[in-house]
Amino acid sequence: MAYLEIENVNVSYGDVQVVNDLSLTVNEGEVVSIIGGNGAGKTTLLKTISGLLTASSGTIKFKGEEIQNRPPEVIVERGLVHVPEGRRLFSLMTVADNLDIGAYNTRAYGQRNHTILGVYDLFPRLAERREQLAMTLSGGEQQMVAIGRGMMALPGLLMLDEPSLGLAPILVLSIFETLRKIADMGTTVLLVEQDVNHSLRLSDRGYVLEHGRVALEGPAKELMDNPHIKEAYLGM
Amino acid sequence: MTRKQLDRTLLCVGAAVAFGLPQLIDSPTYLQIIILLFFYAYLTSAWNLVGGFAGVLPMGHAVFVGIGAYTSTVLFLQYNISPWIGMLAGGVVAAAIGVIIGKPTLKMRGAYFALCTIAFAEGLRVMIENIDMLGPFKLNGPRGLLIPLKGDSLAAFQFMHKEPYYYIILIMLCLVLAFTWFISRSKIGYYLGAGGEEPEAAESLGVNVANYKLLAMAMSCFLTALAGTFYAQLMLYFYPKGLLGLDLSFEIAFIALIGGRGTIAGPVIGALALRPLNEFTRIYLSDQLPGLHLVIFGLILILVMLFQPKGLTAPLSRIYERLAQAITTPGGEKS
Repeated sequence: MAYLEIENVNVSYGDVQVVNDLSLTVNEGEVVSIIGGNGAGKTTLLKTISGLLTASSGTIKFKGEEIQNRPPEVIVERGLVHVPEGRRLFSLMTVADNLDIGAYNTRAYGQRNHTILGVYDLFPRLAERREQLAMTLSGGEQQMVAIGRGMMALPGLLMLDEPSLGLAPILVLSIFETLRKIADMGTTVLLVEQDVNHSLRLSDRGYVLEHGRVALEGPAKELMDNPHIKEAYLGM
Repeated sequence: MTRKQLDRTLLCVGAAVAFGLPQLIDSPTYLQIIILLFFYAYLTSAWNLVGGFAGVLPMGHAVFVGIGAYTSTVLFLQYNISPWIGMLAGGVVAAAIGVIIGKPTLKMRGAYFALCTIAFAEGLRVMIENIDMLGPFKLNGPRGLLIPLKGDSLAAFQFMHKEPYYYIILIMLCLVLAFTWFISRSKIGYYLGAGGEEPEAAESLGVNVANYKLLAMAMSCFLTALAGTFYAQLMLYFYPKGLLGLDLSFEIAFIALIGGRGTIAGPVIGALALRPLNEFTRIYLSDQLPGLHLVIFGLILILVMLFQPKGLTAPLSRIYERLAQAITTPGGEKS
């Protein structure tokens, strides 16, 4: 049984349909990338999975239970956590407080003092800056806080929306390395990215989204050799 | 002296001055001005729970002042229930109405929520102006309600001198400041702040932002209504236009914006800056140009927003930090 199973999901904003009859699966322990250009429906899909948007039809199953159209707090409680695009930190709170809010759900709250040590292990930089206000951090450090905040919720499946957005190439590399570490420690990762090269290299499988539909899918290595992807996304 | 000692000493001095002030001031007029200053600081602190911590901009809070005043006064006039009990009843009614308004509107952002609260407040004012009897309750339409004199009586919440009112509102202000301080440092305060700044990020972590905003709204409306009863007992007369009008709603928001939204001291600093200005422009200028004090308010608001968009509390606390450091680190030593 797939860990996350999405079947024939449709999502629209008013009259504009953004996600068309989309199906995908994520197995436990995998890293899966969803790639595609602007407006392909990647962010909409993630928001629908995490309950911030509602699907007009279709089913979303997480650990075998249907979660479509449930409120986000119920979905987080089950272990599906979404790190939204653009970091979205609570800028006037310290790094430690930002992380603490990640452990809001009842499952994670009691263990937060233990979990935070794990997050500081992943990002030693954050341990140094724990008392600093989030707004005073660099872009890369802010992204670390955003990912760490997601980890504080003790996710079974961590969904990340463009963690490389607006970061210097060297930082992108280190963020992706950390994601690999997170996956190796047993968290399943669903990654939405425009940085096709890096994200496929780190992933087990990938889906290519075009106009709200799955245009291509397969093991990440095969996708990287696919001539269409080379031409359209890698510029080769 | 350590930093903590300095903070504590200043707090004690401030409290001693506040509690001793009526001994120094003979004129009931000046005492009344200070009572109203505390009244506004109290209202703004209560407003701050929603307007500051939850990150929305309610512009119709006068309605809840009105609900408090009407509830306790109707209960006193018709059923002879002590205004102290009526005060709590008014708070409960206001909290319930606040939740009813908040449920559909708190999802809105920015100007939309502000406009909705204005529309609701004005709608309710027009209704009350046109209702003489609401079921068995006599509201007396635009003429308002007059509370008959009972002489000095704690049970009837009436005093012949200003001092008791002064101490009541001072204690209410201290309690509401302690309450907002407690909330700002509690989990609720953090979740409210998180939901106010980045609702989507907070929701995607499972924080039920809507419920926390609703809770803040209920607490804020409850506390606001308590001040309504106080106002009714202080003035012993009120009418819809004076109590429920937009003037009061806007002044609360002005004080918060100028003092500093979402800070504990902001409402007090804002009231200290604006209330005397309001009173004195009204005393000295209102003969020549009625309404001039509102123009001056507007100008000050524009200047503060241009140069200190976070309100006056931010630069003042920076100055205090520097002074405190100079005092607490003995001369010459580098920190």
